[in-house]
Amino acid sequence: MMKTYQKECKLKDGSVVLLRPLVAEDREGLITFFRSLPEELRLYLRHDVTDAKIIESWTENIDYDHVFPILAFADERIVGDVSLHRIPFGWKRHIGTVRVAVDPDYHDKGLGTLLIHEIVELASEFGLEKLWAELPLAFPAAIAVFRKAGFSSKAVVEGLVKDLRGRNTDVVIMVCDIGTQYDF
Amino acid sequence: MKIAFISDIHSNLEALKAVLGEIDKENISLIVNLGDLVGYNASPRECVDLVKQRQIISILGNHDRAAIELKFAEGFNILAYQALAWSAKSLAPEHKRFLKKLEHTRMLWDRFLVFHGAPGNPDAYLSFLFQAKKAFNYMRQKTPGVRIGFFGHTHHRAVWQRDVRGKVSRLEMSQDDLLLDPEQMYLINPGSVGQPRQRQWKASYLIFSNEPETIQFRSVAYDLHSAQAKIRAAQLPEYLAERLETGV
Repeated sequence: MMKTYQKECKLKDGSVVLLRPLVAEDREGLITFFRSLPEELRLYLRHDVTDAKIIESWTENIDYDHVFPILAFADERIVGDVSLHRIPFGWKRHIGTVRVAVDPDYHDKGLGTLLIHEIVELASEFGLEKLWAELPLAFPAAIAVFRKAGFSSKAVVEGLVKDLRGRNTDVVIMVCDIGTQYDF
Repeated sequence: MKIAFISDIHSNLEALKAVLGEIDKENISLIVNLGDLVGYNASPRECVDLVKQRQIISILGNHDRAAIELKFAEGFNILAYQALAWSAKSLAPEHKRFLKKLEHTRMLWDRFLVFHGAPGNPDAYLSFLFQAKKAFNYMRQKTPGVRIGFFGHTHHRAVWQRDVRGKVSRLEMSQDDLLLDPEQMYLINPGSVGQPRQRQWKASYLIFSNEPETIQFRSVAYDLHSAQAKIRAAQLPEYLAERLETGV
């Protein structure tokens, strides 16, 4: 992959981040990034990202047709990770799932919104029709970020997942209709 | 009189040549390019040269504008941005001068309004009913008497119609030919030459005929593998080569 496959973006506070797809050389940086996330955030990720082997399996098996991961860098440090997951066949072939994690130092700077916007745009390029995201109902700020990017809440599943203390908590399912993103 | 409308060539020389080859077989008076000559694919210079050489009437697309001033590409996604930055770097000053002279909205012969995205705005899309209504209203206010607008940007063929009572609807095209009603207004998108997104890979264009007013959507096969090979040789994102084959 060419080195210039990237773009610079400005955040709300004027700081600059570099966005580019994940490459194999990002292994160490990604491990450091995920380990730096607070436990309460890591809990909502799909994998145990503190396990270096998990990260290694991602960086060694990059397949952009199934998972398109984009990293955000600030001064060469990973500060955000968003990924678009696709199932090329079957009844969900037109749907992409979005997963995002942002360094707490970069919360409230517009990075989450920027990353999700990027994925919405990419989903359109990939010919997807809908995007799907699942968020804890207890994270209104994250829900607001998705809403700003064009997602709307479709359902709340009560008590579906467990928090750090083992309590069952609610999950909100949000969907973005890609076509309507081009209304502006 | 016959006019060929082409759009969203996006640096795909093979597709452009194939379309022009087909157009040349007919008695076409003029060719109109509805914008986005560059971006995405790997022959921006050659496409600009060919359009200049053939004296094709052209308007400015959002990718053309971004190739002149990269700041306009900041809102592009990472794939489009990468390809556009490559296009911008590849173009010589004379190519950029050519693009810079293009207007984003033009009236042709006091009869047709041509624009890239929406009238007055190359970035906006014309995909939904309210957008079509807005475009028809623009035409009625700013270009009274003009019944037909041609546009691109979405890479999808489309015909919007406004009847005498003001009802706007998108026509479902069951066939490639359509006889236009002289009492009604139309907004017509010929689809994309260089990156069709209708789940078919052939280059798309449109022929407008006068007396009676008729449009014909056309598509033509081109040397897809050569276009893909150039994208790969330029080290542009692989997906840009793959999508040409699937028409996404």
